[in-house]
Amino acid sequence: MSNNAIPRDFLKNVLQNGMGRYVCQLQRITFRFCKSHPGSRHMRDFIENHMLDFTQKNPGVVVYLQPRRHRPPSIVAEFLNGRREMMEMIDKEPEEICKWTEHMRGRSGVQIVNMIRNNHTETPSTQGIWHPFMFRDSETALTKFPNPQLSAVKQTGKTATDYLLEEVEKK
Amino acid sequence: MAASILKTIACATARSTLPKTFRISTFMHLKVQKRGYDQYRMRYLKEMYQKRLDVGPEKQRRRSEWINWNYDAEIYAFGQRLGEEFNESTLRQAFINRSYVEGERKKREELGIDIEAVPLQLEDNTELAEEGFALMSSYVKVYLRNIYPYMFEEGISAVHDYLTTDKMLAHIAKHVGCEDLILSEEFPVLESTLSTAFKAVIGALFNDKGQEQAERFVRDFVITQLIEKDINELWHIVNPMGLLKAMLSLNGKGEPEPRLLWKSGANTIMSLYWVGIYSDKEFIAKSPGETVLIAEEMAAREAIKRIMKTDDSRAPLIIGRAAENLMLDYNRVNISAEDIIQKFYEKSHSEKNSSTS
Repeated sequence: MSNNAIPRDFLKNVLQNGMGRYVCQLQRITFRFCKSHPGSRHMRDFIENHMLDFTQKNPGVVVYLQPRRHRPPSIVAEFLNGRREMMEMIDKEPEEICKWTEHMRGRSGVQIVNMIRNNHTETPSTQGIWHPFMFRDSETALTKFPNPQLSAVKQTGKTATDYLLEEVEKK
Repeated sequence: MAASILKTIACATARSTLPKTFRISTFMHLKVQKRGYDQYRMRYLKEMYQKRLDVGPEKQRRRSEWINWNYDAEIYAFGQRLGEEFNESTLRQAFINRSYVEGERKKREELGIDIEAVPLQLEDNTELAEEGFALMSSYVKVYLRNIYPYMFEEGISAVHDYLTTDKMLAHIAKHVGCEDLILSEEFPVLESTLSTAFKAVIGALFNDKGQEQAERFVRDFVITQLIEKDINELWHIVNPMGLLKAMLSLNGKGEPEPRLLWKSGANTIMSLYWVGIYSDKEFIAKSPGETVLIAEEMAAREAIKRIMKTDDSRAPLIIGRAAENLMLDYNRVNISAEDIIQKFYEKSHSEKNSSTS
């Protein structure tokens, strides 16, 4: 059931990223938390101790802080392809929040789907795909079928009959 | 039977005792024990669902209407993301569409502000876009001519046109993050506005960092869109056999001679013919088709592909780090198919005239 419900797709590269130069696909990230509620304790810890490292390493990502009174903590990631993903950060410790932030930074922004195959190409063969006429002898193009010559049994080497006849002759 | 009659009577009496403002459904719910949280949440969600159906979908809003929006930070991040150091004022100008400036002017007029006393210090991106487009257009052509030196000039133009359409440029602009930054009157942002903004970004880079950096930008973001694309499909040749004939005759070779190589399933819907093209009894190209005529035309296309050296087994595009030291001849012009056909006709006419006289 779940296998049918989860979308399946081929591997995708957004805007041929990395072919020319690599562009981080995470456009902006919003950390949402409460300033006073103990539920946001770890998120506040993350913001105090780890967030600046992230912003310094990734100047191309816009980071927003959004305090919301008495609401659970979460992160909202917005990607260059226009998708927006929200993730709850309830009961997640600062190290785990760091990990999920890095997860968002490394993603292409495409929806996570089941892979049909691990590799994909638009040009499966550069020398041309095989077809029944590929290695056929060009002589057969003008032959009329059925042809007695081509229908004859192909003989390679000595047969058992030949061998026996030879033995008889020797004696 | 008697039990059901009793039930209806009991129900009727219960109904009559209730005030008229009570709904039946509410009354029915009173019978059920309701202590759980889900009891009213379900009803609340149903109500909200119905309301959403009544009101219709949410209005599309600009990203800047939300509270977590800082235009300065977004502009800074745009340059950093692409690995380019823009001059901030030029980059800001690149995102100002003409419609926005006109809209601002109109707003001021409506408010009764004298524009001459308080000038509107806004310049739109039209000029930058023109500069950017000129640079992009010329570089794309130069690059293609050098990478595909045997491709006809018409083919180069076709590929160039494909890369510089509004649709393609808008697609690129969206995926480098221009859409939210553009200042324009209309919303959602039009393809043409996105494309102009992208051209203006190239123009801004050209102004700030010079030609080489702008060309690198074009190579990394525009030319990479040719990957996984069959460039032979982009140029539609009307009469491939005519062009092939002219090419062979000018090179001093015999006329192209199509020959049926194989056939299978004739007179069925799965019919298949393989036609090969020979010149002076030398094989040039072959191709399959549903009919002999289609196969012949496809074989002629295949032959032209071989002449242009753009067959499927061609070398991949030189992009990224490998293209840093690419030596491009900026004055190069490829052979034009039109010229070849013209020359061929002049040649055949002069031969005819000489034979008649």
